[in-house]
Amino acid sequence: MSTPPGTKGRRVALVIGAGSVKCAAALGLLKVLDREGIAIDMVVGCSGGSLYAAFIGLGVGATQAEEMTRRLWTRELTKRRHYPSLLRAMLPQLFPFQESFGLVDDRLILQRLQTAFGDHTFEEARIPLFLTATDFHSGEQKVFSSGRLVDAIRASIAIPYVFRPWSIDGRLYVDGFLTDPMPVGVAIKHGADVIVTLGFESPYQRKSTSVLRFAFQLSSIMSNNLLRANYAFHNLAHHTEILPIIPQFRESIHLFDTDKIPYVIEEGERAAEQQLPYLRRLLAASER
Amino acid sequence: MEIRSDKRGAVTVVSIEGSIDGTTAADLVAALRGQVTAGNVHLVADMAGVDYTSSAGLRALLETVKEARQHGGDLRLAAVRREVLRVLELSGFTSILQVYPDVDSASASYPASA
Repeated sequence: MSTPPGTKGRRVALVIGAGSVKCAAALGLLKVLDREGIAIDMVVGCSGGSLYAAFIGLGVGATQAEEMTRRLWTRELTKRRHYPSLLRAMLPQLFPFQESFGLVDDRLILQRLQTAFGDHTFEEARIPLFLTATDFHSGEQKVFSSGRLVDAIRASIAIPYVFRPWSIDGRLYVDGFLTDPMPVGVAIKHGADVIVTLGFESPYQRKSTSVLRFAFQLSSIMSNNLLRANYAFHNLAHHTEILPIIPQFRESIHLFDTDKIPYVIEEGERAAEQQLPYLRRLLAASER
Repeated sequence: MEIRSDKRGAVTVVSIEGSIDGTTAADLVAALRGQVTAGNVHLVADMAGVDYTSSAGLRALLETVKEARQHGGDLRLAAVRREVLRVLELSGFTSILQVYPDVDSASASYPASA
């Protein structure tokens, strides 16, 4: 990233919440911060946001990150079913159920994550990087800050019912949104004074026409309420400044609408521009 | 940020211009607290001129609401801009604060005997 080193005074964190392809709005936000010379002291990502947090942490520029997303996140990812899971769900007497359950064959996503991030580790990040997932057995938030990025991202995007939970060091992890879709608490815990956060509410289905859509609808209801509850708590319980950047999408953005990434980035940039005067003032006040 | 107040019978309308954030929240709390201390506990915040609120702004609003309610009054919001309303919704504030489309309806929401 081309931002100059540390903003004097306050530690600035960027938190990118869950939101699938909408998380690309982080690249628009990054462009604005870069242009203004506002340095980020740490970056936190959850679910889809973990991809962009990792790109930013590694210093991948906005244009390159956009290209990488287009190659990584395509509709083919969900084309192949994970038949062992289907059989275990439908015929548990013949095929005993296993917790490693997901309806989609995850080999392609894993292969693409490997292509994008290789064997890069958290330790190689230029700025402190934190990615969140959820411990399947304890239900607690897991914050990854060391080890292979591919593992942490794969755990963070383990969308319930879609991708199988991911095992790391003997623990099973599912999507980070299940504990906090916009994990500003992680940034607070690690000493951020100013948190610029991108958050998205999950879209609701007009009509649930399949079991999976029905499950998505329930998941959206729960995660949106969780988002609001956690956000309210963090706003009121701490003295950290939290600046929400909430892009307004005029078009509906679906899970694999990668062709809309330029538009998503544009809206992220626009939303960031709106908050810029305040962010500038806040950082200037802390330098006085 | 600019804060102006206007007494309309038993209701005090506080008009706020600018952003409610970490650099301005203390001024807003002081102004609103001053109204409550002076016995003006039926407050309407005219938010038409507020273009942004951060977490500090949310804390300022909540602090005033609590104080006004403890004294038998309330703080009600009027004419909240869409982008500010999104933040209030996201933080669950619309479930604890009464929000009205304009100052007149917010003022009229208080009983005539207030």
